[in-house]
Amino acid sequence: MSTSANSTASVGSKISVSGLRKSFGSNEVLKGLDVEITEGEVVCVIGPSGSGKSTFLRCLNKLDELSAGTVIVDGFNLGDKTVDLNEVRQHIGMVFQHFNLFPHMTVLQNIMLAPVELKKQSTADARATALKLLDRVGLADKATARPAQLSGGQKQRVAIARSLAVNPDIMLFDEATSALDPEMVGEVLQVIRDLAAEGMTMVVVTHEMGFAREVADRVIFMADGLIVEEGTPAELFGNPQQPRTQDFLSKVL
Amino acid sequence: MNIFRAGKLAVAVTALLALAGGFAGVSAATASQPPTAVTGETYVIGTDTTFAPFEYRENGELTGIDMDLIRDIAANQGFKVEIKSLGFDAALQALQSNQVDGVIAGMSITDERKLIFDFSDPYFDSGVQMAVAEDNAKITGYSDLAGETVVAKRGSEGETFANSIKDEYDFTVKALADSATMYDDVKAGNSVAVFDDYPVLAYGINQNNGLKSVTEKEQGSSYGFAVNKGQNPELLAAFNTGLAELKDSGEYQAILDEYLEQPAPAAASGFFGLLSDSLPALMKGLGLTLLATGLSILIALVLGVLFGFFKVSESRVLRGLASVYVSIFRGTPLLVQAFFFYFGLPQLTGQSIDVLTAGVLTLSLNAGAYMTEIVRGGIQSVDPGQTEAGRSLGLGYVTTMRRVVLPQAVKIMTPSFINQFVMTLKDTSLLAVIGFAELTYQGQQIYAANFRTGETLLIVAALYFIVINLLTMLSNKLDKRFNK
Ligand SMILES: Nc1ncnc2c1ncn2[C@@H]1O[C@H](COP(=O)(O)OP(=O)(O)OP(=O)(O)O)[C@@H](O)[C@H]1O
Ligand SMILES: [Mg+2]
Repeated sequence: MSTSANSTASVGSKISVSGLRKSFGSNEVLKGLDVEITEGEVVCVIGPSGSGKSTFLRCLNKLDELSAGTVIVDGFNLGDKTVDLNEVRQHIGMVFQHFNLFPHMTVLQNIMLAPVELKKQSTADARATALKLLDRVGLADKATARPAQLSGGQKQRVAIARSLAVNPDIMLFDEATSALDPEMVGEVLQVIRDLAAEGMTMVVVTHEMGFAREVADRVIFMADGLIVEEGTPAELFGNPQQPRTQDFLSKVL
Repeated sequence: MNIFRAGKLAVAVTALLALAGGFAGVSAATASQPPTAVTGETYVIGTDTTFAPFEYRENGELTGIDMDLIRDIAANQGFKVEIKSLGFDAALQALQSNQVDGVIAGMSITDERKLIFDFSDPYFDSGVQMAVAEDNAKITGYSDLAGETVVAKRGSEGETFANSIKDEYDFTVKALADSATMYDDVKAGNSVAVFDDYPVLAYGINQNNGLKSVTEKEQGSSYGFAVNKGQNPELLAAFNTGLAELKDSGEYQAILDEYLEQPAPAAASGFFGLLSDSLPALMKGLGLTLLATGLSILIALVLGVLFGFFKVSESRVLRGLASVYVSIFRGTPLLVQAFFFYFGLPQLTGQSIDVLTAGVLTLSLNAGAYMTEIVRGGIQSVDPGQTEAGRSLGLGYVTTMRRVVLPQAVKIMTPSFINQFVMTLKDTSLLAVIGFAELTYQGQQIYAANFRTGETLLIVAALYFIVINLLTMLSNKLDKRFNK
């Protein structure tokens, strides 16, 4: 599909991060991260508030500028000025804590906007896809509703459907369930779980430790802008090595 | 009218008349004079807009001492006049550039003016006179003014005279801009007496303006008819001859008496009479008010969107540009801006500018600055998460703006837009000071002639009120309809 297809990173690598640093003014928030994520892998990122989890995620689709280091996503080097960011972003969906649905559009219009504007699909095809995606997240009956008429859980499922509409092969979730009432967390996690089962490559920032333990192939623990420890859920939750990790887990588990 | 007609044509016409003897004979028969250089000619005469009783409008027609005089002299001398009501300064400029052949505008003959114009014999002796409120029995002369405040017109002979005697009689002089305001000031008791040009004062008293004169007029300047230096000598000669004949025949005195001596027919009409008399002129003014508002708002919208986007752009240069623009136009009074564009800019560029252009330029640049802030505020009040969602879907900046941010921003901005629209409509009234003939200006012209300030302003205010509320209602309806 892409002419600048992956040639440097190892085969199967979807995201390759090395030496990533990010500062806001004099405040260095990411202090040198190295991460490799392979195709189909589900990586959960946990860590205390302010440790840089969101910033890390936002560097992966360049919502935030990188201060130093390289990030290669689906073969695109984000540091390369000639790379078309809009194209890269169509490969990498993002779901936000506060949904960020477009309030002036119906659910269907929210989902159809990008495919139609990006000329990936005709209006009719985009509508068909949108209805299929809505069905997949269990909201087929909400097509004509406005975001304001939906519950939090429903909003987040629409937001996921909207991201999927441009057919990405990577999904980023930034605390997708944190703004939800507890009884709605399950329905959103189920959608993410289904995506994992279908083999979607995903980076999931979450406070839901049980969920991370269940779906993650790998868990990364961040603190103070650094990756302190990473491993399989069994390793990280069962036998954390670092005192910072032990300390954090003792508070949240 | 032809700019070059003046001197050359006079010669040509004389020759033509000599040839066409028969025709000349006919036209001479209608006038009391034998054919002269001006017979059958049409001259363009410039005058002021309102300087009662010399020139003012009554039911839309120009009338007054100057108008009666020039028309009667023309009839007497067998030439025709085309009157152009330009305003005093504009009339003098038009005369200098030969766009008019003569000017009659209650103009004092002064040494400075004699350097650039040729004046006729004086046709009126003016002078300053003092008047007090009708029911004021206490003040009968200058010596009763001790410790009091009087008013005079800014920059007028009246002000000069009042200042020359204020120390001797121990009073204070306050300067106001026009006669109607001064008379209201005296009637309201804010000042005890007014010093004004005798004919203006006499006319006002004639119109039952509530004052009475209590002193003899001081010897002052004389008014003359003017042509451009060295131009139209035959017109000047004809004016002098005609004037002398009108004086001999008593016609001249009759004209003066009509405006200065005979009291006006008992207070013309009631409020509704005034309403129906003034409505045509006021509606014309309202039309110009709406035209200037409409044009200005449209241009301001374009400016506001442009600079509003500059303000939220990532370029420091563009942001700086927009900030400078906004701070200049928000940081200076609208009135100063209007003066600058109408009087200042032509002096800097040497390019004259018509009053509508200057007015619309002022209002649109001014409103544009406020619009810029409205647009910036609207865009910035949209949750940044909306942009992030759009961009993370792979939509470009422009598409995200157009499809995601702006529809929400416009909804937020609309009430402010409507507010700015109303502000700009009201601000048009400030353009009266540069002579833009909008609603307020028309109102001023009317009470300058009839001295019914309160009633006239009531009508003007009512018109603004009705129009603004109708437009606001309409805008709110549209807002509800499109921005649910
Ligand atoms: N746009 C920004 N400008 C300045 N500082 C920022 C900005 N975004 C984040 N930061 C700072 O960067 C640090 C890391 O923030 P980040 O949101 O990445 O943390 P987080 O791990 O996601 O925390 P949380 O669990 O609370 O979401 C914080 O100290 C935050 O104040
Ligand atoms: Mg965060």
